[in-house]
Formats: sequence, structure tokens, C-alpha cells
Amino acid sequence: MKVLVFIKEVADTEARIIISSDQKDLEIENKYTVNFFDEFAVEEAIRIKESLKDVEITVCTFAPPRAVEALRTTIAMGADRAFLIDSRNHESDDPLIVSRILAGFAGKEGFDLILCGRQAMDDESANVGPMIAEFLKIPHVNQVTRLQVSGTGTAEVQSEIEGGKKVSEISLPALLTTQKGLNEPRVPLITGVMKAMKTEIAVLDPVAIEIPFGSIDRETSKIAVLSYELPAKRPSVSIIEGASPEEKATGLVRALKEEAKVL
Amino acid sequence: MTRDVFVFVECKDSVPRKASLELLSVGRRVASQFSSGLFAVVVGSGVKDAAEMVSGYADTTVLVDDESLADYGWDTYGSVLEGILKKYEPMLLLGTSSMTGKDLFPRIAVRLQAAMISDAVGLDLEGEGIKIKKPLFGGKVISWLAPKADSMVIVTFRPNSFTVGNAGDKGRIVQEQFTAEANPGIKRVSFEKTGSKKVDLQEADFIICGGRGMKAAEHFVMLDEIADLMGGRTGASRTVVDSKWREYDDQIGKSGKTVSPKLYIGCGLSGALHHIMGMDTSRVIVAINKDPNAPIFQYADYGIVDDLFAVLPALKDELKKTREDT
Repeated sequence: MKVLVFIKEVADTEARIIISSDQKDLEIENKYTVNFFDEFAVEEAIRIKESLKDVEITVCTFAPPRAVEALRTTIAMGADRAFLIDSRNHESDDPLIVSRILAGFAGKEGFDLILCGRQAMDDESANVGPMIAEFLKIPHVNQVTRLQVSGTGTAEVQSEIEGGKKVSEISLPALLTTQKGLNEPRVPLITGVMKAMKTEIAVLDPVAIEIPFGSIDRETSKIAVLSYELPAKRPSVSIIEGASPEEKATGLVRALKEEAKVL
Repeated sequence: MTRDVFVFVECKDSVPRKASLELLSVGRRVASQFSSGLFAVVVGSGVKDAAEMVSGYADTTVLVDDESLADYGWDTYGSVLEGILKKYEPMLLLGTSSMTGKDLFPRIAVRLQAAMISDAVGLDLEGEGIKIKKPLFGGKVISWLAPKADSMVIVTFRPNSFTVGNAGDKGRIVQEQFTAEANPGIKRVSFEKTGSKKVDLQEADFIICGGRGMKAAEHFVMLDEIADLMGGRTGASRTVVDSKWREYDDQIGKSGKTVSPKLYIGCGLSGALHHIMGMDTSRVIVAINKDPNAPIFQYADYGIVDDLFAVLPALKDELKKTREDT
């Protein structure tokens, strides 16, 4: 069985981000990490491999070459192979283009199951998973919190939907997006790290993958980034003073009512 | 392609969600600018009343009411929505970046080769087009995006991004028939209703959120009482959820939910960056913490430096009085 995992390397929460003076570009401090929700996808793939025979895990990302480090992390955890599709000179702001490229890779590589995080922490768009599934004409389930792959071409999937939890039976090939609660991602062992250091990670040119899902030219992007700006700053905090907790509570409610007008 | 503006209306228990009414209100602004029609799309089973309710906000309400749409699925709802969009060819489709929105719209965008912008928080009109405001990196940066005009555009917004306007004269309701095509690859085995909470965390106008300073799971009843009183919701920080004091459904922050209520009250929260990233678009932020140096005060509009266990009962009484006055 072939399991494909798509990951994204994202700026760390603590990374400093500077907006260029013309507001057209971002300079991100070199602190990157594997997207939080993608770690559950990698971990789940490894668990499938541990419970079934003959499972091969391939991890892939569409990113600049620095994301090789993120791929190495997944090899250290237990993935078998990793590919980086070089995003330099390509559009990465339009989810349709990113999904075409990743779906193209999946189609060429072959797969029984595709896993990826439910959304990326940097743009929180949550588009690429279901979009890949649509390009590949396979079913998907979002926000998976429990997975049981049978080994006979089906899987039982528990997922979060509006208002509750749903259990579905899904025929493979399929795509699942992973949610917190699915598993506890492992910390790589030193032997894994050693293996990851030695693993060669192929860097692919998206143009070399023959993509049957439409153009990946930058000109065909349907989205233009106009500008970046800092969020509006809040005025500094107004501390409600009072002789007792009761007085402070009264003062707060008065301020919320009369000043902020939110009550 | 027409210049019309469509809003996909989400219903909860056959009642239109507030977030969808917000979209109809902003959709009205766009439709007026382009002198085009505003359409509401109501899809489901037993949703005629919902269509009636939203018809005061739209020129036309397109209704597909069929038993096969009783349970939401991207396959069934997707085939119906695709049929509607292909027939009416709107310029713009607005939706909510809810669990349903994140499940449904990406597939629709591929089928219609539409420009897709998700999880936005604002919209500006600019000459002949629209500008979309979307936070990045947990709100550290705001980006402004413009869809290119040669195809249909789908934009999803976070709940509480806009205020709900007043309903006007009832528009017409057009009942359509589109077959709900179920994907044979997915079979629904069971559904368990969770969180009987009345208000969705992301849609709540009022949120009171507890952090590690709440000290124990049982103390959250104090927050629940205030949340109920205010018709809002209780939230929790990651530490609280990791300690199993509250469910993951309550978690606010980068690895949980992003919220922007009218009023957010943080109790016993230090203000870790990953939490701030989930709530700093709230209109008014209040922090209650006994440590005057807690980072949360840097993000708050109002602060109380005191023991929250002494403040909360008094706060509840004061809020109760306000509720009774109005």
C-alpha cells in the first residue's frame, strides 16, 4: 500500500516577520517548522505502516529548497521517501495552482491513501487538501480524528463535522485531512535522525512533472497580492482600579457599557 | 458570467446562521456597487422557513429543499451548489470559513475553476473590483488580495467579520430542483451529536476564556454561568485543553479556533502568543489576572489586576444587573 503525505513548512510562531517598505514583500526570519496539523498526518502514516504489511510512505512538499529540512524531520520520524517540488519561480499564493502541482505529483507517483493536515498555520486557508481530492476525482474526509485502515481497500474514519462527530466508511484511494486528537506525533529517535541525514531528497521541477490538471503558469493565477500591512494596534490597556474586587468589577462593567459600548 | 453576488447560507437546526446574515449584509454593499442582484442560496431538507427568513436580505433566494439533503456532505451539497452556480453564473460567491465551508468550497472552486480566497476578515470596494482582507501568520500580518476578474470568485469569511444589517422587503424565492449526487466512495456509518452548546464558539458575540489560572476543571462552571448569562460561550487555552479540563472544541488559539467576538474576557491567561493569535481580532478584549506583568495586558483594552476567584462572582452580579436593565 502506498501512503502519500503532503506537508507544508511554515514560519514558527516566534519568527519575526518584516514587511518591505513598498509593502509588496515579506521577509521572514529563518525559523521554520513542519506545519502543526501535518505532523498528525506523518504520524498516522507511520502507524499504518506499523500495523499493516508492505506500506510505503512518501512525503512531498511544494516549497523552496530550505524545506528539505522539514522533509528530513519526517524521514527521521519514519517516512520512507521524500520529494521537494521546487516552488521558486512558481506561484504559491493561488491554492488552485498549488493543488494542481501536488495532484499532478500524486497522479504520477501513484497512491492508495493521501494524508495532509487540515490547514496550514500560516494562511489558515484549508484549501489544498480537498482541492487535490477534487482534481484526482477521489473522495476526501476533512478533520479526521480516528482512522482504521482495513488493508482490503477501505477505511473507517471518524471526523469532526458541524455539530458533531461522524463515522464514515471510505473506499480507497482517498484523501484525509488530519485534526488534532488523531494521534500524538512521535519525537524522532537518534537512529531515525541518522538515517534522515543520509537520505537523499530529490528536488523536482514542477514543469518536469506532466500535470494534466491545467496550467501552472504564474500568469494563470487568479489571485493578486496587493499589499501587506501590520494589524491596527490597540491603544494601551486601561487598568480598572478599585479598593476591592467588587469595585473593580463594577468599574469594568461601567466602562464596557458606557465607553466601549459592547454591553 | 453575470455581475450577481451569491451568498451560500448555512443553517443550524434549519435556522440560518448569523454568519450567513453577515455575508448577506456585506453582499448587499457589493451588489449595490455593481448594480447587480443579491442572491441567497439555501440548500437542505426542511429549509423552506430558513429561505423565508433570509428572503428579507436578498433580491432572490434560490431554494433547494430535498430529503436527500438532510445530512450535509460535500458530495451531495456540492453537486447541488455546482448546478446552481452553473445555471446562474454569478460573479461572486460568499461563504463562511466554517467546517462546512472548508469542506465544500475548495472542491467547488476546482469544478468551476474559480478564484478562491479563504478565511478572510474584510472586504473593500475599489472602483470596478473588490479587495479582500486576510490575516496571515496568526494575525501578525494583514494581506490585501484581489481576485482576477476573468472568472468566478469564491471568498470565505470568518464569522463576526461584518455586522448584520436590517432585513428589508422580502425578495422572491425560486425553488430549484437539482439532483444530489452521493459519492459511492463514502458511506455514513454513524453520527454522534457533540457539544449541545447553543452557540458556536466562532459565532459567539461574547466569549469568556479560562487559562491555567483557573486552577481546576470544576472552576470553569463560574465561566459557564457568565457565558450562559450573556448568551455566549466559554473558551479555553491550550494548556487547559491539554490538561483535559475542557474539550478541544473550546480551544482558542493557533492550534484551536480563531475567534473575533464583540467582547472577549480572558481569565487567568498569561497571553502566550499562540493564544493571542486566536483572539486578537476581537472587538474589545478584557484581561483578568493577578499578575500585572502578564503579557495578555499588552493586548487588552481593559484589565483588572486581582484574584479572579474574587472578581468573577462580582462580575457575574454586575453583568446580571445590566442584563436585567435592558
